[in-house]
Amino acid sequence: MVKNLPVVPTAKAGSLVDTPTGITWRIQYPEILENCNMCLDCTLFCPDGAIVQQEGKLVLNLSLCKGCGICANECKENAIQMIPEYSGVQGVFR
Amino acid sequence: MSTTLLTGSEAAAYGAKLARIEVLAYYPITPAFPAMERISKFIDDGDLNTRFVRVESDHSALAAALGASLAGSRTFTVTNSQGLLYMTEVVYHTAGLRQPVVMAVANRALSAPHSRFPEQGDAISQGASGWIHLFCENNQEVLDNMLQAFKIAETVRLPVMVNYEGYIQSHTLEEVEIPNQEKIDQFLPLTRVRTLDVENPQAVNTVASPEFYMDYKFRQNEAMEQALTVIGSVSREYAQEFGRDWSGLIDTYQMEDAEHAFVAMGSMISDARIVVDELRSQGQKVGLVKVRAWRPFPAEALRQALKKVQLITIGDKNIVYGLGGALGTEVRSALYGQDVRINSYILGLGGRDVTTVEIKKVLELSEKTEKQATASEWFGL
Amino acid sequence: MALSIADLPKEELFGQGHAGCGGCGAAVAGRQAMKALGSRTIITIPASCMATMGGSNLKTTWQIPFYHTLFEIAPAVSSGIRAALDAQGIEDVNVVSWAGDAGTADIGFQALTGAAERNEHMMHVCYDNEMYMNTGGQTGSQTPMFAKTSNMSKGKMIKKKNMLAIMEAHEIDYVASASIAYPLDLIAKFKKAAEKPGFSYIHILAPCHRGWQIPAEKTIEFARLAVESGLFELYEVDEGKRTRTVEPIFIPVQDYLLPQGRFKNLTQEAIQGIQAGVNRHYGRGE
Repeated sequence: MVKNLPVVPTAKAGSLVDTPTGITWRIQYPEILENCNMCLDCTLFCPDGAIVQQEGKLVLNLSLCKGCGICANECKENAIQMIPEYSGVQGVFR
Repeated sequence: MSTTLLTGSEAAAYGAKLARIEVLAYYPITPAFPAMERISKFIDDGDLNTRFVRVESDHSALAAALGASLAGSRTFTVTNSQGLLYMTEVVYHTAGLRQPVVMAVANRALSAPHSRFPEQGDAISQGASGWIHLFCENNQEVLDNMLQAFKIAETVRLPVMVNYEGYIQSHTLEEVEIPNQEKIDQFLPLTRVRTLDVENPQAVNTVASPEFYMDYKFRQNEAMEQALTVIGSVSREYAQEFGRDWSGLIDTYQMEDAEHAFVAMGSMISDARIVVDELRSQGQKVGLVKVRAWRPFPAEALRQALKKVQLITIGDKNIVYGLGGALGTEVRSALYGQDVRINSYILGLGGRDVTTVEIKKVLELSEKTEKQATASEWFGL
Repeated sequence: MALSIADLPKEELFGQGHAGCGGCGAAVAGRQAMKALGSRTIITIPASCMATMGGSNLKTTWQIPFYHTLFEIAPAVSSGIRAALDAQGIEDVNVVSWAGDAGTADIGFQALTGAAERNEHMMHVCYDNEMYMNTGGQTGSQTPMFAKTSNMSKGKMIKKKNMLAIMEAHEIDYVASASIAYPLDLIAKFKKAAEKPGFSYIHILAPCHRGWQIPAEKTIEFARLAVESGLFELYEVDEGKRTRTVEPIFIPVQDYLLPQGRFKNLTQEAIQGIQAGVNRHYGRGE
């Protein structure tokens, strides 16, 4: 049965946001600590738009995060730490 | 409506003007360049409100036309031979993106060796590209086909090539009737489809997985099959409005009681009509089948037109190496199982003359040939 | 007035859910640029990681009109898009072509130089990761001297082609280099380019951690080291006026080069040669 597709091969804007690619690749995730001074640098360094500013707060969206660690590496205040997704000998998913 | 003397190039240019193209992009090449220059003159003189993108290559010419089409404008380009081959990647891509771009092609032989003379090999090389191909027998048909091409393209959402031969048509004056602009505006209203649109954003040409690619290709081919009908209906509508009937996919001449049919396309057709008249006056039951639409290939129309003849002679101004003439091969394939003698000839490559004299000789030769040794024989060496 | 991150638009026009690698430098460049360009932008991207990671089948990360073009045609397509917008009387849209180093400097150069010469009302952006990463990391004209790639295991023995100088020679409205480690500088440059009536060119150094053989989390760090060492100068040429926008602190070039896997075979002699080149460029003597 042939699929019902758009005439021009196209995709609806922003449609990947709800079904993001790559989060299952993640082996570590960031945690924002209390010493965050809201410099917002991480919002421009994150390749995945997983840390954004919303109503004066830093919001971490783990459904978009691939766990690359750029945010923790770039944070001048050391206010982001990366936590392993797997722990224990069996490698249990968090 | 007014009648004037126009070259095929000018006829193509008038077609683009009457279609009120919004964006034009081309890169000069011989013998297509007079069509380009004529449209640029229309723009410079203020007779045509069109943006001209003066690109640096044929490849970019179709790319710019494609971009404009995706942004919702009616667009046009002109090229031939090496230019067409250079833009081939974009030719296929444009069809896959289902953009109704119209391109005039002043058919010319392909290098090597270098030749700037007429032949249909350039268009034939694009037979699998997904473009609709129309071939014109004279300059009036160049103009009329240009206008029909936009209508067909925008109806089935496929690009169309309007083929006319270099020099024989592009540089030769003929009497051409130029239709009235208001009537053309009614025949061809602007149907604006914006694929790239900030008001309705979408991503174009995202990567297709095996799960999707084949379905897209099925739809693309389905549109080509739809064109088999649309080319005919547009042709009839045009005939009603403007009084000239180019009769859809194929045209037949003196075929009612014909025993021997000549099948060809392009400029040979107008000469072949004269030959048919002459042979008829001598009592020979000869007829003519003109292939106007080469893609989609009008197999069923040809089966109908050729079902009563005993001998079919096909003339190909092209060669598909190791196979034969493209039209010859495809007509044989379309008539598979039909009890009829078919002789196919390669002729007129690289500008070698095909006049009424040569066509008559080919028909005589074919009458005498019981069975060809190869798929296509070479005539006129 | 200086830009501040807090004042940037909150909308995420590119990047969320994209299919690129974790730590992708190109994705960072795309996100930063879109903060300047805004939603009334049409972007064309030829064959590259950036094009493929935009989406597949019926899904895309882009929130603006995006067209994945053939490899050599993005600036030509964008020229056509601009012509169509003009013909339709649509004036407030940014037209952008955005290519990798191959789609800009190599296979894509013809269409780029054509569009620049015509001074089309558009901008072209090169996100430069200095090798052909979408095909696994082969050498191209933007690969720096000595860098090892998947098809030159002994390293490239000729220099990187200077695309910024070439584009400056077109005498277009605006030419700038930018780095993903300096987002506010990058965003300011995109804003300037968007205001120009003619052609702008922005060349972004966007490291690829896979190709450069560095840890993913150090993508931004190495983009910064390239600037701090003086090897990648941040400047703009605004209607002919050249201004350096970030002054390097001149860390030794080896601090940038040696930690990268692609440069692990660099000799001391080669490093000294590169350092001497940097010193000469900035007038710091031999």
